[in-house]
Amino acid sequence: MLWYILKRLLASVGTLLVVLAITFFLMNAVPGSPFITEKSTPEQIAAANAKYGLDKPLIVQFKNYLVSYCHGDFGVSLKMQEGTPVTDILFHQGKFQLSIKLGLIALLVAVIIGIPLGCIAAYNRGTWLDGFLRVVTTIGVAIPGFVLATLLLVTFAVKLQWLPTISGSLDSFNVYVMPIVSLSFYYVCYLSKLTRTSMLDAINQDYIRTARAKGVTTKSIVIKHALRNSLIPVITYIGPVIAGIITGSFVVESTFSVPGLGKYFVQSVLARDYTVIMATTFVLSALVIFMNLVVDIAYKIVDPRITLSSRED
Amino acid sequence: MKETFAKISPFQVDPKELEEAFGLDDNSFDAANDIEKESMVEMHKSVSYWADAWRRFKSNHVSMVALGVFIICMLFAFAGPKFVPYNYADQLRNAQKLGPMEYSKQEQQVKLIEGKCKAFYATALRPGSITALEKGDYVIKKGGKTYAFTLDKVAENVIIMYKPVGIEEELVIVRMKDIAKDGSFSEYETIQYTDTAAKGAEQLKLVKNVFPHLFGTDSQGRDSMVRTMFGARVSIIIGIIAALIVLLIGSIYGSISGLAGGPVDFVMMRIVELIYSIPEVLVVLLLQVVLKDPLQAWFDSSKSAFVKGLSDLGAGIVSIFITFALLYWVTMARIVRGQVLQLKKQEYVTAANALGASNGRIIKRHLLPNCVGQLVITTCLQIPSAIFLESFLSFLGMGVSAPMASLGSLCSDALQTISLFPYRLIFPAIILTVIVLSLNLVGDGLRDSLDPRLKK
Repeated sequence: MLWYILKRLLASVGTLLVVLAITFFLMNAVPGSPFITEKSTPEQIAAANAKYGLDKPLIVQFKNYLVSYCHGDFGVSLKMQEGTPVTDILFHQGKFQLSIKLGLIALLVAVIIGIPLGCIAAYNRGTWLDGFLRVVTTIGVAIPGFVLATLLLVTFAVKLQWLPTISGSLDSFNVYVMPIVSLSFYYVCYLSKLTRTSMLDAINQDYIRTARAKGVTTKSIVIKHALRNSLIPVITYIGPVIAGIITGSFVVESTFSVPGLGKYFVQSVLARDYTVIMATTFVLSALVIFMNLVVDIAYKIVDPRITLSSRED
Repeated sequence: MKETFAKISPFQVDPKELEEAFGLDDNSFDAANDIEKESMVEMHKSVSYWADAWRRFKSNHVSMVALGVFIICMLFAFAGPKFVPYNYADQLRNAQKLGPMEYSKQEQQVKLIEGKCKAFYATALRPGSITALEKGDYVIKKGGKTYAFTLDKVAENVIIMYKPVGIEEELVIVRMKDIAKDGSFSEYETIQYTDTAAKGAEQLKLVKNVFPHLFGTDSQGRDSMVRTMFGARVSIIIGIIAALIVLLIGSIYGSISGLAGGPVDFVMMRIVELIYSIPEVLVVLLLQVVLKDPLQAWFDSSKSAFVKGLSDLGAGIVSIFITFALLYWVTMARIVRGQVLQLKKQEYVTAANALGASNGRIIKRHLLPNCVGQLVITTCLQIPSAIFLESFLSFLGMGVSAPMASLGSLCSDALQTISLFPYRLIFPAIILTVIVLSLNLVGDGLRDSLDPRLKK
């Protein structure tokens, strides 16, 4: 187990390196620089390049990035908030915390609502309730997140004015309702579909019949026998859910003007603020990769049959 | 024959009696012909894989309806623009910000006089642009006749009509403001015309009937329905091409990895795992920004027809394809590899191998055709995911470039004025949802009909 975790950790570091390398070289493949404005002279640009070390060969620049990242130093922003350390922008201005808070709540909502809904649908298979849930979830996975986000914004914030748009205070809970609903809705639907299918698979197994024959109560069968076994495919999907929620946060944060990491990343890409792009990519990919690792280990705990060392399909 | 039969038979039977008793005659002992042979075979007509799948698919009502809806969407996107006299980039003057089914003032006037005269002409086909005719020579061609005339002063806000006055038909010019609310008009100028056009005369075209703006128009006076049609077209094209790219790369990579096995397989699968764990969207966003300028430069410099075709799509869309080619084939590769691992143990693969077939031939002729079900299903479900990605990128302002539209960019344009004109978001959003929903359902139906083992 320890050996496996260690191996996976090493692989994760490798993936992270690859992501950073791709980002870095892509970024530098764009003609243009963060310092080009209408007024700037070539001398000014050259001076700015020299100041931030952008005049060095690419490979040296990349090495410098890696070395400073190992020291926990993300450099200073080149354009968006010129001169401010990126660490301050990401962490001390609360961007990272805000995005994480939104993401985690959305993930929790997806799991806490999606899985029970799937169980209910599977348990009431063929009834109107199952039919209704199927229609809702099927339509739910076909609605793009930004459409849902905009519709919510128009309906509840602009027309009905029940909920505030986020530009106000970040303290009240109401502010988070719409971003979380639009972030998690797709995954609620998807997880519920997935749970229903795997639950139906599990319900038809022999051991369920045995349990029923022994006189175990339905509730106990569902919770103890069926659910546990049907959770395996669901857990494998949690990894992509996390990546998807982070992706979704780009759109949701732009729509509801949440001052989070996702919105900032999109802006920094458009502004070509190299250091911010690199740092945000690093933080977000580290998060996704780490969560994938956690999911893989959780997978092992839920299903002891899976041997972690062999990863054959 | 009868004699022979009588001879070998232990019983002395009169052939006549035999014939009466069993209904047999001479011909009964002839060899059976083809038709008789056919009727003796107690088997169903052999049903091909596709016919069988289609039969199963047809019995799935939900999927059939979804297929119908998708075909309607395709017609809307590809045939629709032919029936609407507007184009996605046309900016109709004085027709900005119209709601669904609303007409601009000029369009209303044109509609009113439609019944009063035979035809009316303007410099362009679009009713919105009947504003000014410069000084100069004009020509109208109709029914083999040529009406040529000269305007010696600028005519603003006028309509030139082809009006029956008495017995003679004549050309008149009417100022828009002289047209009453009911469409009638009493003040007009008759135009003197000849039948020989002067050199360089501008040809005036017949104004078609005013086509309603079913979805309204946007802030620049572009017809929203036509833009939605083009947007749907762009989205569907992106979805299909991206899915085909994924199919091509994924199936080749997966089958090579599966068939080769050993260290090759190991390395190839580690690469897949690596790409799989890259947070795609981060890279996609970067790729979008990075690829746009170099692609545009390439389009501008190259002259080949293929590049020309690509440049019509625009740099944004082509970079989406590149993204798919780089990152999104891994799921397909994994599925194909899994299938190939099962299939390569089959006897026919061993047999092909023993007969000296090359690996390429085994993949092409034996392995891929046998996982065609999986390939079709995965490709079909890849289309909506590509459409999602494109609309997501366009929504963030990185997909197609104006004036081209995609469903995502239409939604994102609508977002700026969402509280005033919510219908601008609703229409493209509904179309997008319907396309994705119908493709998802068709994909589910395909899974059930192509791969009965997976049927729940």
